[in-house]
Amino acid sequence: MIEILLIYAIIPLIKIGVIVLFLSGAIAYLTLLERKLIAHIQVRLGPMRVGWHGLLQPIADGLKFLLKEDIVPTKADALIFTIAPAISLLPAFLVFAVVPFGPPDMFEGPLRWILGWFIDDTATITRIAENAIASGGYVTDINIALLFVLSVSSVGILGVILGGWASNSKFPLLGALRSSAQMVSYEVALGFAIIGVLLVAGSLSLVEIVQNQQQQQVWYIFYQPVAFVLFFICGLAETNRLPFDLPEAETELVGGFHTEYSGFRFSLFFLAEYANMIAVSALGVILFLGGWLRPFPNSDWLSFLDFIPGVLWFLGKVFVFLYVFIWLRGTLPRFRFDQLMQYGWKIFLPVALGNVIVTAGVLLAFL
Amino acid sequence: MDFLRRIFFVDILKGLALTFKYTYRKVYTEQYPLEKPKLAGRYKGAPRLNNDPVTGETLCIACDLCAEICPEDLIVVGSQRDPESRKKVLTHYTFDTSRCLFCGLCQEVCPTNAIELTQDFELAAYDRRSMVWDRKQLENGWDRIHFGKDYHK
Repeated sequence: MIEILLIYAIIPLIKIGVIVLFLSGAIAYLTLLERKLIAHIQVRLGPMRVGWHGLLQPIADGLKFLLKEDIVPTKADALIFTIAPAISLLPAFLVFAVVPFGPPDMFEGPLRWILGWFIDDTATITRIAENAIASGGYVTDINIALLFVLSVSSVGILGVILGGWASNSKFPLLGALRSSAQMVSYEVALGFAIIGVLLVAGSLSLVEIVQNQQQQQVWYIFYQPVAFVLFFICGLAETNRLPFDLPEAETELVGGFHTEYSGFRFSLFFLAEYANMIAVSALGVILFLGGWLRPFPNSDWLSFLDFIPGVLWFLGKVFVFLYVFIWLRGTLPRFRFDQLMQYGWKIFLPVALGNVIVTAGVLLAFL
Repeated sequence: MDFLRRIFFVDILKGLALTFKYTYRKVYTEQYPLEKPKLAGRYKGAPRLNNDPVTGETLCIACDLCAEICPEDLIVVGSQRDPESRKKVLTHYTFDTSRCLFCGLCQEVCPTNAIELTQDFELAAYDRRSMVWDRKQLENGWDRIHFGKDYHK
């Protein structure tokens, strides 16, 4: 009884708590990283006053958001206006339920050690510690994880659209229209880019995809470079990042879908955007850069890198992804709307389709 | 060639390289109130009326040259003749910093280097009256407004 409770309730709950807390902190400091990095690209300093080099700035910002007045416009649809930020935020966090941060036996050692204090029976401890649900570096490993991620992240777009619609104001509505058009166009190409990986990996489970990269001895970026580039570009578009930030477009739409939002609700949208950034980065790392694996996971001459735990490899790669996201924001101007649509439908979609066909053909012919 | 440039994102990569180069450059921003900027040696700022470092008496001989040459007529020198030594003695001296254009003519014309424009550039005040400095302020530094935690004390 206690065994089942531990494996299926207590340990996953602890993991969920840790991930939610860690993610909130990561999002907060991602905003600081973005501000500092953009500032340094522009040969400025960025936040310097709150804490050493502005290290406490995210906390000050969070407090400010909490204490600010929360305005609902008089003619807005109050109910939808209220729930839209939550609809945007929840899916962004939900994605991390299936993201594997580390290998399936990540907590085996620590679990044995900690459970040894409470339980005397060695067999029970072994059974719990060797159960992948308890000891894995993820909350859960479902066999359709990739589909789950795609479907859940599409729900997040609904929040943006509803928020823009319920504001009853022209700029948010325009932002919402743009965002729906953009998401629809780029999600297709994103899906096809992922199918390329899927064909090579032969599994929808994110854990198995990483394990297959270890078996095939190479990261999938080397098998699917075109898909990686496509995934990256469409990921930028999906998360509304520059150069695809047309739904927000401060200079054209006064903030787009969150023009009418203030205080805490605005911060929820903000959190959702950054959580989506991290989610897309994590997905890219798992699909193309070998998740928790070190470079060239099976070659011996790099085995001196094994002392770094898998989680750190994973987080490091995600950091590189996020760095490039911000770096691109500091480099590229925004696309025009017709350019965006043109690239999406006329270039990325055919290339993604071609990639799928070529991959499938090669797999059929040689394997 | 143009096609290859486009499909390998050559121009975007060049742009990225440029911004990366700037990212780790030395930053131009000055943390102004915390770090005072370095001024040129010839910078002319707040006026000061110098005292003789040995005796502590004012160097000003009330010759009125500074008031004569000032293009803005903002210096007023008041003097009285000492009946015994037959010398002019400075009684009061006002300097209107709100009108000063910091040309430096007064410090150039002064025969005893009594009036001097220092490097201090923080001259903002809450009202016009406090921008007219009297002799005490010119000699000891003006009643500077301190912004910070001890402002209200």
